[in-house]
Amino acid sequence: MNALTVSTAISSGRVQLVSLRKSSLDTARLRVLWVAMIFAFVAAIAVIRIGYFGVSDRAVTSTSLEEALLPPRGELTDRNGVPLARAFPAYALWYNPDAMGDASNPLVKSPQRVASELKAIFPDIDVADIAEMLASGRSGYIRRRVLPEDANRVQDIGELALELPRESDRHYPQGSMGAHILGFVDSAGKGKVGMEQVLDDRLNDPVLRNTPVALSIDMRAQGALEDELRRGMLAVNAKGAAGIILDVDTGEVLALASLPEFDPNRIDSEGAGNMFNRVTNQVYELGSTFKPLTVAAAIDAGSVRDFGKRYDVSPIKIGGFTIKDSHDLGASLNVPEILIHSSNTGTARIADQMGGEKLQRTWMDLGLNERPHIELPARGFPIWHDDWPRIRNMTVSYGHGIAVTPLHLASAYAAMVNGGVWRPATLHKLEAHEVPKGRRVFKASTSSRMRQLLRMITLYGTGRNADAKGFRVGGKTGSAEKPGGSAGYKKTSLVSTFAAAFPMDRPRYVIIAMLDEPQGTTASSFQRTAAWNAAPIVGNLVPRIGPLLGVRPDDTRDVDISDLRPMVPGED
Amino acid sequence: MNSRIPAPIARQPWEMLIPLFLLVVFGAVVLYSAAGGHFQPFASSHLLRFAVFFVMALVIASLPRSTIEWGAYPAYGGVLLLLLAVEIVGAVKGGSQRWLEAGPIRIQPSELMKPMLVLALAKFFAGLPSGMVGSWRSLVPPGVLIMLPIILVLMQPDLGTSMAIVFGGAVVMFLAGLPLWWFLTAGGVGIAAAPLVYFFALHDYQRARVLTFLDPENDPLGTGYHITQSKIAIGSGGLFGKGFNEGTQSHLNYLPEAHTDFIFSTMAEEWGLIGGIFVLVMYGLILGWGMKVARSAQDRFSSLLAAGATATIFFYIAVNLLMVMGMMPAKGMPLPWMSHGGSSMMTNMICIGMLMMINRWNRHRRGIAS
Repeated sequence: MNALTVSTAISSGRVQLVSLRKSSLDTARLRVLWVAMIFAFVAAIAVIRIGYFGVSDRAVTSTSLEEALLPPRGELTDRNGVPLARAFPAYALWYNPDAMGDASNPLVKSPQRVASELKAIFPDIDVADIAEMLASGRSGYIRRRVLPEDANRVQDIGELALELPRESDRHYPQGSMGAHILGFVDSAGKGKVGMEQVLDDRLNDPVLRNTPVALSIDMRAQGALEDELRRGMLAVNAKGAAGIILDVDTGEVLALASLPEFDPNRIDSEGAGNMFNRVTNQVYELGSTFKPLTVAAAIDAGSVRDFGKRYDVSPIKIGGFTIKDSHDLGASLNVPEILIHSSNTGTARIADQMGGEKLQRTWMDLGLNERPHIELPARGFPIWHDDWPRIRNMTVSYGHGIAVTPLHLASAYAAMVNGGVWRPATLHKLEAHEVPKGRRVFKASTSSRMRQLLRMITLYGTGRNADAKGFRVGGKTGSAEKPGGSAGYKKTSLVSTFAAAFPMDRPRYVIIAMLDEPQGTTASSFQRTAAWNAAPIVGNLVPRIGPLLGVRPDDTRDVDISDLRPMVPGED
Repeated sequence: MNSRIPAPIARQPWEMLIPLFLLVVFGAVVLYSAAGGHFQPFASSHLLRFAVFFVMALVIASLPRSTIEWGAYPAYGGVLLLLLAVEIVGAVKGGSQRWLEAGPIRIQPSELMKPMLVLALAKFFAGLPSGMVGSWRSLVPPGVLIMLPIILVLMQPDLGTSMAIVFGGAVVMFLAGLPLWWFLTAGGVGIAAAPLVYFFALHDYQRARVLTFLDPENDPLGTGYHITQSKIAIGSGGLFGKGFNEGTQSHLNYLPEAHTDFIFSTMAEEWGLIGGIFVLVMYGLILGWGMKVARSAQDRFSSLLAAGATATIFFYIAVNLLMVMGMMPAKGMPLPWMSHGGSSMMTNMICIGMLMMINRWNRHRRGIAS
């Protein structure tokens, strides 16, 4: 039949043949063009692809050998190089039913047999549970952490579906110590809570990963602070405790503790509940610890010139509210006596005489109207009022109607004793040239006076339990009722604080110890006030940390209080 | 024309030869670097081979038309016998192989097959009357011409080369004017049949191979690793590259086959985007010249032969580039005139020789016409 077609084509004449040949030549030319266009298209794709690789460069991130040898996350150390947080490569045991490429039959051996072989390696697992998991064909962790030698034994089972992915763990060699400073790393590798969160980018930066980050913390001081705080907290059944040790000249935090703590190595629901940081995040009415700050402001303003001047300490009635002292202190007290006996009325009258503007100005200079200055992400905002009527001026002078964090108080005390310069607190170890200039809040002469007065409180007043022999501790107690209850304050729920500095002849460190809702127990002679629970913590802590931090006990030295000593008769 | 240049030199197709020389020299430069800054063992033999095969191309270019037309089928048949010989020798020696050894020379007949098939098909379609282009006569004999070598090459087994042979043949058939819907139907059937073949005709181990072939990421330590390293090499070159002899991917042996299949990555790492564009422009000039020769050919045979030869070269370039850029499964396919290797150099120089020959015919005919 085809032969017939051909013969017809030949016989049908020359004209048809020519036109046929011409049209087929046209087709051929057109098709050459088509092929050329395909060539051009592929070339264009190649150019675009190279351009994409060459210009974007990020298309593929390369891992060099150098980088692979770096720790997966940078280390944290204390100021002396003691490791606080380390990267720790570990193995997990993961069940991957797709490893064999046959979802219906993920294992070579029977699930029961594999489970019993795993049992031989990990005696604590339940064979039935594991066999059921293997049979179910669902992927999942069989164990989160496997030791290297156990990992080898799992490999020897010879099941492809049992995978041993390498995971990076964060290990905190000091356990729960400093947990609130460090924070932890979550399962997605993100830093949480503490410096792990603050420094997340820095710790993951391949360029900087190899250099550990030194924090301002001294682990020995941190350990001592936590130990004493915990002991003090348990002795009086307190709900919680907070403490901080601050370098007065640099603002470096030597130790910072919030109890109860959590263990960053093992985050559970109980630990998660304790992640709240009482030192930087919780604001408290810190009560009488504010009185020295008020007196300092008054000395600085020039409204207290004569320390022998006697102030009326009878109850003050103002705006339907009565300010009174916890117990009768007589008719009048001079300035040292007001602090030694912690008189609300005397302090209020000093503040009233000075005027609200100066007090408010001073406390704003001390940063009490803003969140505390520190790197940690969780920082509480103080309860602060911009309007400052006369009654507020008087209550605030003894620490009521204003709520700040313990860290605020520590920074303010540092400014009060270091010569009058306020500096932000920091958790980074600072070199000498990195110390911020700070801002002057008090005159140097005021600061000298305050050293005398604080020292006298621990020598003759409520702070006697904190007077560690030879360490020249000065400080002020504060016992404030917590807000709430029928009368605006709860009589039995107290926050007891002791704010201290040492050595008073040349202050180096501020210590704040705070107990949340301490109870009266035998250990505190059935008292709830700071003199009986917070002050002893400082008294025990200073001898432990003083020598470590370069302060030696010395009975021959002390701040000179001879000019004020005669003003407090009868005290020894 | 400039009379100071002798006519035999002036009439050479310099618009193709200059890019070709630049490309070969650039290839030698990259091979010099890939050998760690030495001419041995790659760069020197690369240049030597080019010199030898260039002479061969000149000899092909000078062949008269009658010889080529006469020799098309015998040459095809000869190479087919060589392919058969590979199978027999392989069967005798045990194990599969692709080479035939004759003294110091090793011939890979499957490479030779690419231009020879194009030649045979061009010859066939040139002789086929225009009216029969849409009939079975334009399909069955070429189909047999293509299938015979394919079967032999697949037995080696070498999927890449057999695909290259099919591609060359298909381009010639396409240009010969076979109805477009034949190609579309064949393509559609191929796509539809692939899963059927995959699920019913293949053994499990073959399926696994196809999977790896299709998805290199499945095989992260094998071909997938190679492609990742290749992409890293190209990407790390940036705009201007790391500089001559400064490539780390190739020198530290991250890059597999840095001197053969992945030479483009080696080049791109050291010369950057600029080097990549230079290479592509050179290929563009050579292939463009090839298509121009095909278009200006005055008869069917030379037109088909020129286009088929150009397509054969193009297939090497396209598959290699797409492979090293991770847009195609890894397949052992060298880059013409840059990769170190004799067989592909020979195939491509045969194609160049045939193109130069057709170019000479064209000029000759134009000369007569004018």
